[in-house]
Amino acid sequence: MKIMNRFVLPSVSVLIGIALIFPVYMLFISSFRSEAHIFDIQIWPTEFALANFTEAITSSHLLRSILNSVLVSTTVTVVAMLFHAMSGYALARFQFPGEKLIFAWMLSTLMIPFAVIMLPLYLITKNLGMTNSFSGLIIPAIFNAYGIFLFRQFYRDFPKELEEAAYIEGLSLAGTFFRIALPLSMPIIAPLTIGFFLANWNSYIWPLIITQKETMWVIQVQLANLVGGGYVTPWNVVLAAAVIAALPTFLLFFFMQRYLVEGIKMTGIK
Amino acid sequence: MASRQSNARRTQEWLTAYSFLLPNILGLMTFVFIPIVYAFYVSLHDWNALSPKVFVGFQNYVTLMSDADWWHSVSRTLLFSVVYVPLLFCLALLSALLVSALRGRSVGAVRTMFLLPFAITSVISAIIAMFLLDPRNGLANQVLAAVGIGTQQFLGSPTQAIYCVIFTLLWINLGYNMTIFVSAIKEIPSDYFEAAHIDGATGFQRYRHITFPLLRETNTFILIVTTIASFQIFDQIMVMTKGGPMDSTEVSVLYIFKQAFQMLNMGYSSALAFVLFIIIFVLSMIQLKFFSSND
Repeated sequence: MKIMNRFVLPSVSVLIGIALIFPVYMLFISSFRSEAHIFDIQIWPTEFALANFTEAITSSHLLRSILNSVLVSTTVTVVAMLFHAMSGYALARFQFPGEKLIFAWMLSTLMIPFAVIMLPLYLITKNLGMTNSFSGLIIPAIFNAYGIFLFRQFYRDFPKELEEAAYIEGLSLAGTFFRIALPLSMPIIAPLTIGFFLANWNSYIWPLIITQKETMWVIQVQLANLVGGGYVTPWNVVLAAAVIAALPTFLLFFFMQRYLVEGIKMTGIK
Repeated sequence: MASRQSNARRTQEWLTAYSFLLPNILGLMTFVFIPIVYAFYVSLHDWNALSPKVFVGFQNYVTLMSDADWWHSVSRTLLFSVVYVPLLFCLALLSALLVSALRGRSVGAVRTMFLLPFAITSVISAIIAMFLLDPRNGLANQVLAAVGIGTQQFLGSPTQAIYCVIFTLLWINLGYNMTIFVSAIKEIPSDYFEAAHIDGATGFQRYRHITFPLLRETNTFILIVTTIASFQIFDQIMVMTKGGPMDSTEVSVLYIFKQAFQMLNMGYSSALAFVLFIIIFVLSMIQLKFFSSND
């Protein structure tokens, strides 16, 4: 039993772990290989073909699309945090006519799969003149009842005393939220920020629908186009582009893993 | 005096609440609620890019009943779901049990390795899979050749392609679901296990009578969320196969997407989308009922 716990379980886990990261490792080392050697069965780095990266950057709007993604994901995340915190707070703290109805209605929007509304959403945003624009990429992506729900849960367990004191001191209810409650909400804002950012960075189908102009593409659309563009895939360039595109999320993953895990737990346990 | 003050407070509370809720109400209304109502309205019309929309009642729903391509896409979605969901569930649960049994320094490293693929976006995961599964020179084929198995077409094969997509999704989603299981397992009070241990319960018995029953909520959550997601699979298929070869990966969302944005049959695609909505809704209700009355 002791041997089992000391050696077998850890070894098995590490082996599975290595198998899981192996494809990512292959992506990284292969991105440094020239086209002729891209499929070499060599698991150690053999070349250092930086030309792949310069070609990836110059042959497409790669950097532009990364910039677009950064702008879209960041804006969506920041605005969503603010709106969802406000709504969650209102639902957790205040009593007002229609409270239950509004909350139930918001939750009911969670039942609607995106695939069902993608066409009408496109038609509506098109009528609003939002195709091929940042507003079209950003605004429809902000609203998410799950975020509201999680903030509401958080504020329900949040101690009331500080806010009551602030209110008695003469701060308005809105002021109490912005000056007292919101700054103390980092335990929920941090993991949700990571979660929202990653989800929006990953987003592919909506940007694909709403943008036709290449300069408005986000990184996922740009990458998909690189790999599906011609009959022969220039793997060295595609892999280099994928590595560049993966860097921001990897940095986030390695430096913010604690918050990422917290966010996953939060979505899993209610 | 006191009542005037509480009246003032109540008014302020109402005003603050409504203004705090307003942005989300407007947003959810415009970008989720109106679209679903509009989808139903459009589904009652014959409407493509070339002609103005004509009211046809439930004609689109009648048409889709006998649309073999649509039901083919539904059956491919079902196949995908039936293979993917139980596999992901079992692998995530097994990995979670394995990782929770670890002690000491290896825990952090192992969890990082399991979760790392989750940091890969769906498009990048598709690119990596296409690269490794390349039918001519891919690593997978080279390894198979080395052990004496002939070249496989993988994504180029009507029988193998869907399993390649399933494999890719298992790979990137395992860590996420495992993490949810691990945190649920950690919540189980350790005295339960100690008591069972003293009573002489074996590892499997402890799992069967303590861990699994206490994970019921998590099990239900993961099953429902994964099933719903599996019915909406799109990204990887769009990049890896575009529905091919020979429509073997033409899942429902892709079929709806093509009807809407390539063939521009807007009324028809809306009817299809509505039927998909009903299928997903009924399935999640069945699962919810089945798993919450399973005492």
